[in-house]
Amino acid sequence: MRAMVSRLNSAVSGLFLFAFVAVMPTLVQAQSVNEGQSVRALTTDSSGALLVLRQSGLFALDSQNTTEIPLPPSDSGAQPRSMAKGADGSLYLSGPGLGIWRYDEASKRWQSLNDTLPDLGVTAIAAHATQAKTLYAYLGASGMFRSRNGGAEWVKVDSGPREPVQAFLHSDMPGSMESGWLFAGTTRGVARSMDCFCFWGDAGELRGTVSAIDYDPSAPENVYAVIEGQLHHSSDGGETWAGLEIPQAVTALTFSPSEGLVVGTKNGELLSRNASGEWVPVYE
Amino acid sequence: MNKWSFPLVLLIAPALVMAGGAPTNSGSVPAEVTEGRQIYEQYCAACHGWQGEGAADWNKPDEKGEMPPPPHDETGHTWRHSDAMLFRMIAEGWRHPFNKTDRLTMPAFEDILTDQEIQSVINYLKTLWTEDQRRYQQNESQE
Repeated sequence: MRAMVSRLNSAVSGLFLFAFVAVMPTLVQAQSVNEGQSVRALTTDSSGALLVLRQSGLFALDSQNTTEIPLPPSDSGAQPRSMAKGADGSLYLSGPGLGIWRYDEASKRWQSLNDTLPDLGVTAIAAHATQAKTLYAYLGASGMFRSRNGGAEWVKVDSGPREPVQAFLHSDMPGSMESGWLFAGTTRGVARSMDCFCFWGDAGELRGTVSAIDYDPSAPENVYAVIEGQLHHSSDGGETWAGLEIPQAVTALTFSPSEGLVVGTKNGELLSRNASGEWVPVYE
Repeated sequence: MNKWSFPLVLLIAPALVMAGGAPTNSGSVPAEVTEGRQIYEQYCAACHGWQGEGAADWNKPDEKGEMPPPPHDETGHTWRHSDAMLFRMIAEGWRHPFNKTDRLTMPAFEDILTDQEIQSVINYLKTLWTEDQRRYQQNESQE
């Protein structure tokens, strides 16, 4: 009997040790993913959870949990860089060497949308604000592409602004000849065109390399752009800009249904404004 | 337009239309294209140019803060719009939302031209585009 108890004891101890060794790295990783790693891109999913792209991976974040979403399969040189949320809530991910992928929440799998793209050098994507099947992609030297069927077929529509595009946005701000506006963050500032691709002009006189751009869907004239870590705001659709004071260098931004404007920082933090307008950590 | 220029336009319009690559198989110019050119000459050319070349520096605001009339030839963006959108622009007019003035810089023609006449102008404009642009615009019109 004593031998049996002893054997059981050591089996249970072994099981605990195994479980500890197996689970510990995940716990350590889960704790460290959000610390110190610059936020590359931000968006929200169909339920309003924040989706945070860092070097270590992609994470869904709500007030309760943080869940890692495995990235799509790709070559080692691929650089996930840009995310967009479709009008139907679909998540799109892109980057140089990666092309464009859509995440299917039901099956938890990524679907490649690269069949008709000329190459995988996608530096920026945008999803139409109101048309779920319309997507835009910028492929550097290959120019700008549009798909009207959810990525099944891409058609080159334009060369894009003169300077290379780093960030891309479709907005349903009123006043367009067609269905909205395109804002492109370039190495020179923000360029703007109606979504007919009629012509690209300067959106105001903001100058510098734009690394992120977004707008307030509930007040579409409000556009936000990041230049060298500094957040800028336009309340007139990009005609004039003003810098916003923020305690850290900003690297990404999005609009959350619950938090409003959320920024990701170089230090890895996520900040939003409280009722007093102060920047505070999200979900704290 | 003086009294001689209109007949002159009628005389040279077919040749110009052919040079612009009119979409015809027989070599003859469809009547509505000819009509469209006549209407264009009468109502549109003063601002958008006799050859559809648009105003100089059309893609920058002028001294009044208004976007100048764009070209309708292959250098502009008219070919990027569907037939329905072009019809609406001509009928209802247009003001660029970032103009510093409130007036319609593109006047409304719905009380001046019939629907058929507006359509004829659009058909004429198509002769100013490249084959690729016509194909693109046809796709836009079918969306």
